[in-house]
Amino acid sequence: MALSLRSVSRKTWLTLSSIKTGVILIILVGIFSIAGTVILQRPMTDADDMQRAYSPTMLRFLDAAGLTDVFHTYWFIALLVLVSLCIVAASIQRFPNSWRFFARPYKSPDEHFRKALPTQAQIPISDEEDGLSAAERALKHLGLRSERIVHTSSFSLFSERNRISEMAVYMVHASLLLIFLGYGVVDALYGWRGFLVLNPGTASNQIELKNGATRTLPFSIRCDGTGEETYTDGTPKRWWSKLAVIDNGSEVQRKEIVVNDPLVYEGVRFYQASWGQTGKLDQLVLSATPAKGAIGPPKKISLAPNQTVALDADTSVQLAEFIPDYVVQDGNVYSRSNDVLNPAVHLIVTSKKDTRSVNVWLPEIPGVGENASSPYIFEPKDLTPEVFTGLQVSHEPGQWSVWAGVILMAIGLTFVFYVSHVRFWAVPVRNGNGQLALWVGGTANRNRDAFEERFKNLVEQIKKELKPTGVASAQAQATTTTGR
Amino acid sequence: MARARAEQQPATGTTLIVLVGLSIAFLLFMAFLNVVKSGSILNESNMLYAALIFYAGAGALYLGFGVTATDSYIKFASLATWAGLVANTLAVAHRWYEAGHPPFASIYEMLLSFVWTLAALTLIAEKRYGVKVIGTVTMPVAIVGVVLMQLLRTEVHPLVPALQSTWLHVHVTLAMLAYAACALSFALAMMFLIQDKMRTESFLAATSMFTVGIYAAVLSRFERWGGLNVVAWDAENKSEVFISRGVRLFVTIPDLGWMMLLVFAAVAAPLVLYVVFRLKKNDHFLAIANRAVFISILLQILALVFFLLRARDGQYPSLDAEGLYQTSLAASPFILSALVGGIFANLLYLLLLWRRPDLERHLPDADALDRITYKTICIAFPLLTLMIAAGAYWANRAWGSYWNWDPKETWAAITWLVYAGYLHMRITRGWRGRRAAYFAILGFAVVMFTFFGVTYLLPGLHAYA
Repeated sequence: MALSLRSVSRKTWLTLSSIKTGVILIILVGIFSIAGTVILQRPMTDADDMQRAYSPTMLRFLDAAGLTDVFHTYWFIALLVLVSLCIVAASIQRFPNSWRFFARPYKSPDEHFRKALPTQAQIPISDEEDGLSAAERALKHLGLRSERIVHTSSFSLFSERNRISEMAVYMVHASLLLIFLGYGVVDALYGWRGFLVLNPGTASNQIELKNGATRTLPFSIRCDGTGEETYTDGTPKRWWSKLAVIDNGSEVQRKEIVVNDPLVYEGVRFYQASWGQTGKLDQLVLSATPAKGAIGPPKKISLAPNQTVALDADTSVQLAEFIPDYVVQDGNVYSRSNDVLNPAVHLIVTSKKDTRSVNVWLPEIPGVGENASSPYIFEPKDLTPEVFTGLQVSHEPGQWSVWAGVILMAIGLTFVFYVSHVRFWAVPVRNGNGQLALWVGGTANRNRDAFEERFKNLVEQIKKELKPTGVASAQAQATTTTGR
Repeated sequence: MARARAEQQPATGTTLIVLVGLSIAFLLFMAFLNVVKSGSILNESNMLYAALIFYAGAGALYLGFGVTATDSYIKFASLATWAGLVANTLAVAHRWYEAGHPPFASIYEMLLSFVWTLAALTLIAEKRYGVKVIGTVTMPVAIVGVVLMQLLRTEVHPLVPALQSTWLHVHVTLAMLAYAACALSFALAMMFLIQDKMRTESFLAATSMFTVGIYAAVLSRFERWGGLNVVAWDAENKSEVFISRGVRLFVTIPDLGWMMLLVFAAVAAPLVLYVVFRLKKNDHFLAIANRAVFISILLQILALVFFLLRARDGQYPSLDAEGLYQTSLAASPFILSALVGGIFANLLYLLLLWRRPDLERHLPDADALDRITYKTICIAFPLLTLMIAAGAYWANRAWGSYWNWDPKETWAAITWLVYAGYLHMRITRGWRGRRAAYFAILGFAVVMFTFFGVTYLLPGLHAYA
């Protein structure tokens, strides 16, 4: 029990920041994600289907273990938190080194470094200044700027490109944290999703949330119309809804939304999600002809549900009921579904003279309707079913963090894979025989094959730059050694 | 052509060529039926037919090159691939023109684009990196793709509202590019294993396990009446915009269960013999195992023929609902591609078994293959990332949420994690060679599951394709 608090925390830290822990966590996330796709998930599956798919014991076990809603259980979230911590720890662990490397570039290589560097060459020169300026010109030729480093009694050269690439890994890690922050923290705490159903002409600010609760918005949404367009084969082509935002009693925004083009107001998004018929009637157009007596032209009347319209001085008609898909059973009329497939309407014709009401059914239903005793004969002309638009409503304030993370990740990955930090040094040295030579070395942090090629070009270029001076041509037998 | 030249070669080579020739002739015949049905000449299906002929020719020539090591084969193989690519491009263009949107809307159109990308990448790998025999692996995949397309529904379906978005094209283009790069890294990793002197019998074990897995998956749908269950879907349900789960019908095709069982035994035999060989350390068992592979290929081809004949436009009773249901091959691309994939895997093993020294001579050295594999993954990984991001952005516009944990999304994330793991191990732990190659193979397996498996086995919001 000699473990002090300090050593325990140090151990935790080391474990957390190790790449092994990271990979194990990645594997765990992978396994549980697979479980979440193979086992039916509650948020996406009807309760009935769940019961059909699994035995009751199995279902109880799965529910208890959270396996029917893997992605929202506390242990999956805890796992993601651990991954984030691991990323942070690993980055902190490695960052100081990289930062030193980044902030204070190694400009003047010492003897040990020069010996160990795999990619290097020595070019005989006659004069330090000639050698250095030739190297400067050669670097410039390759599009690199170089810097003269001053030593106590001499100069050396340093040149580099894309130092930022050393930081790219941290950019990628930071971008992941931004995404987690947006999705896992901001949206988990402040985001919500719900549904809103509107009929044309109605307005509402009550959103039915996923968990069954209701959320009241500080503004309301009015639907000014909605519709469906279909392809010739009947598959839906386009659903649209004309929406208006009403804030503080006045209309502040108006938009026709379609799938893939939502309305956004104060961070709340309204998506076209579904469309359909409510099974109710919007308007019915009828023609009415008097059954006996004065034969005039048929009267055209239009009725809304429960509306009463006068036919003459004595008689009026009321639209009492609308059955979208009727079926008659035991003398009663029922509806089989909410789709307007086999519609029937129930009209009540009232006469002031004899204070009598007659039930008229269209179409005539024997035994139920009293069509024969009606003072008017009705004929349906047109029927407009009531429609609704289903709006998915969501508020995801964290998405901006997610998109920022995505962009940062794209930039970071570009640097990680395609931008290489290249460094070159040139130092005048005396070789074993006491001859003056220009030691040239270089490294790249990725794509080493291409770099070797580049280094060879540089050495050739330096030799070329040396030649015109004529001084070094006698000893132009350069000894080039390159390796991996 | 490859057949005629191969006649001067040793017996084993000829047998292989005859085998490949027969299967290609059969596949061509299947495609030919389709062409006869559709009257006009200059249309998409004929272009695809042409592409198939050229790809098949290229595949045969690449195989011929692998077998006989004749350098001129490669030249003709590249030419044939070019010709196939041209025909394929015309088919894509025709489709695009006719549908009015880029061909990414259905599994058929996705395959069309995938095969195109694969052929283009094959040519790039060959010309740019000098990996000449890559076509031996990629061309069979392309052929399988084109053949699958011949059997899938080809009518242009109008785009349902959720798919009418520019982001669809961005998302799917990125997906196709990423998946094709993954396919390439897989092929390169396999070649690395060959050059890394991995023993031929290890490939036997891997191929057998793969094939046994395929038939085990097919047989797990094997039902009470000795029939084979084929996953079919009801076309009506595809037109809905919000499908929380796809409706699937299991249809039995009677009288095929015994056949699949027989093939299962045949493909399991080499694996069993391999295990015996490892336990007894007797080479005799290995020789029998190799012969068993040969027999199992013949049986697998037979099973495929039976399957095609039985499943083609038949009416079969359903287990879940009353009445007869129309089945077409379009209903079971998963099983079909599994059967065809198994045959090709075994054929490639035979090629390795018989012509390994020639293969080794023509492949770049192991180090180079290792580096190129890594480079292709360096291309694939950012593409995967962008593909997921574009998908999330599109989902945010269409479904109201950028992340739904829908199976396809989750599996795309798993693919991403696998490759992220590979990159971490490679960059920070210096994993090279075998371990990296295994990882690349695993990554591609996950990609294939995300592409095919999730679509047919774990339906969700992505029910369109």
